[in-house]
Amino acid sequence: MTAPEPPSELEPAGDIPEELTITLDERRVSFVLDEELYPRDAIYGAAYLFVDRAWIFLTRPADRQVEVRLKPKDVDRVERGTLEALAGEFANELLNQVLRQRVGASTRALREYTLARALFTDDTQSSIDALLAELDAEELEEDELEISVPWRTEPTSADPEGTGG
Amino acid sequence: MRTTVTARALPVVPEALGFFRWARIGDRVLLTNDAGEFSFLSEPDFRAFLSDTLSPDHPQRATLQRQGFLRRGLDVNGLAQRIRRKRAFLGNGPHLHAVITTLRCNQSCRYCHASRADLSRIETDMSLATAKSVVDFAMQTPSRHLNFEFQGGEPTINFDVIKFIVEYSREKNRHEGKELVHSVVTNLTAMDEGKAEWLIANDVLVCTSLDGPEDLHNWNRLWAGRGAGNAWSEVMKWIAYFNRRYVELGRDPDLWHVDALMTVTSKTLPRWRECVELYLQLGIRSIHFRPLNPFGFARKTWQTIGYTPQAFSATYEALLDHVIELNLAGEQIIEGTAATFLKKILTPDDPNFVDIRSPVGSGTGQLAYAHDGTIYPSDEGRMIAAMGDDLFAIGHVERSSFEEIVQHPTVRAIAVASLLDSLPGCSDCYNAPYCGVRPLHNYMHSGDLFGQRPNTPKCQEHMAISRALFSRLAADADGSLEGIFRRWVIERPRSRDTQPPQTR
Repeated sequence: MTAPEPPSELEPAGDIPEELTITLDERRVSFVLDEELYPRDAIYGAAYLFVDRAWIFLTRPADRQVEVRLKPKDVDRVERGTLEALAGEFANELLNQVLRQRVGASTRALREYTLARALFTDDTQSSIDALLAELDAEELEEDELEISVPWRTEPTSADPEGTGG
Repeated sequence: MRTTVTARALPVVPEALGFFRWARIGDRVLLTNDAGEFSFLSEPDFRAFLSDTLSPDHPQRATLQRQGFLRRGLDVNGLAQRIRRKRAFLGNGPHLHAVITTLRCNQSCRYCHASRADLSRIETDMSLATAKSVVDFAMQTPSRHLNFEFQGGEPTINFDVIKFIVEYSREKNRHEGKELVHSVVTNLTAMDEGKAEWLIANDVLVCTSLDGPEDLHNWNRLWAGRGAGNAWSEVMKWIAYFNRRYVELGRDPDLWHVDALMTVTSKTLPRWRECVELYLQLGIRSIHFRPLNPFGFARKTWQTIGYTPQAFSATYEALLDHVIELNLAGEQIIEGTAATFLKKILTPDDPNFVDIRSPVGSGTGQLAYAHDGTIYPSDEGRMIAAMGDDLFAIGHVERSSFEEIVQHPTVRAIAVASLLDSLPGCSDCYNAPYCGVRPLHNYMHSGDLFGQRPNTPKCQEHMAISRALFSRLAADADGSLEGIFRRWVIERPRSRDTQPPQTR
């Protein structure tokens, strides 16, 4: 029997609780996050989006835990409701970040392939691919000389003549 | 004190999804992808989309599949081709070449970004020899389209250099075969009939600054000293002259007319409606409501003329709604920045507007040539140099090779600092397919090329504009607004290969 693999940096290991316990004082709000539920990059990502509104302090109170303390920059308007709302928005953004990371990790190979095809495949290759696709689609025995195989592709901004060259 | 906040996690089956970014716009969820395509979903549909429980006969399923948001049935090659088309500007090389014919200017605008010099400072004129080197250098660009944009100072004060560059570049182009455009960004207060007729006869596009009604324009754009007059009256006079002559010469006034740019100061904000009315009266069909840049005099006069990004955005939204209402009533008028974003949102192409693209066009889509032949990645680099910081000087037209310039470490650094796919806050932002960051703005604002996205005025401005457009599209039940927006992105033949002047 092998030991279970440690949780991935990108994937939360368990169900994320719907409630987050927060601590309030007069000027700041804080909460502790479990890195096994909220990957560190998700915490960083959420924190980054709050840099215009709050001073953000991250500490490590225990192994695989991150404490987030938010202190609003607009000190004249700090009240309990404001702090709770700030914490609530942060919690929502954390969930968004977790989702972004899961989608990003799941689609990474697909996206790299698509972008490589988009940016590093020349038009000649594209036209060959298009031609091969057409050959696959057509029944060649009906056109033994392949007279109907088009050599022109649809015009694009990169190839306004549609020469495919 | 301890309490709890509630946030509901979203169930997701990532294996069923293509790559997408998203945001909540009102009560809808907006999905976007690398090809710039978008779809709105209701919150329940978004949850069904994420958890792969969207009904097979859901009315949006086929669209989501075609756009590449769903993994099943994804046409990878088709998506790659759409991305390729959207990023067609990559590798084209600089097409916009800003030429500073002189630093001399007869005006001293409160927000001047252009580092003006007094009229006596003839040593700040570009020489004909330097002008020739500029043309020889610029025409090495691999770009098939090339726009020489004359700026200053007031560029028409050194009119001989404008004439020389237009004539020499056309002569040289007999062998190059590029699509050449020439445009001049002028305050029109040093114009005379001789210059005007030459510009008209030689198809040089004319763009001026018009900041609104007379008192507002003249307050923003000071004209003092010997020969000074009423700047607004001169602008009115020459707009009328050019537009009349275009008609007399049989040119289509929809295509040939003086364009105008507006720079917004704190005095403009409460008077935006008057500005729109003036543009309508003058038949100027594109109003470009531009915020101040953190360059030049504007940094010194910010206390008087500046405002918060929030104040600008609120005014912008009011103006946008008014312009939309005018369109619904049959007027043909557009807002310039909205049109740039809409072209990215609603069409398969990118307008290649050098200031709003990824990476930014500085050095890769445009170059700027100071009066002494020093080369900068953009006119902003030249403005920063005029403020005493030559960090962005990357060479000289008589001493640098084209390869050295476009591969300069500074150009590379700017590209890295503006590639949205790799920037925190941008890489997963729904607006990434449509947005662009300005590293030189960041440098002026925070002292480094990257800046912190949420703290940069450009991020706040672009997000406000994008949200304003998408929230209105989300509420566009009968498609009438989209119809208007689609008219805004139709390119006119005259401007097909022309960038509107972007800086000044």
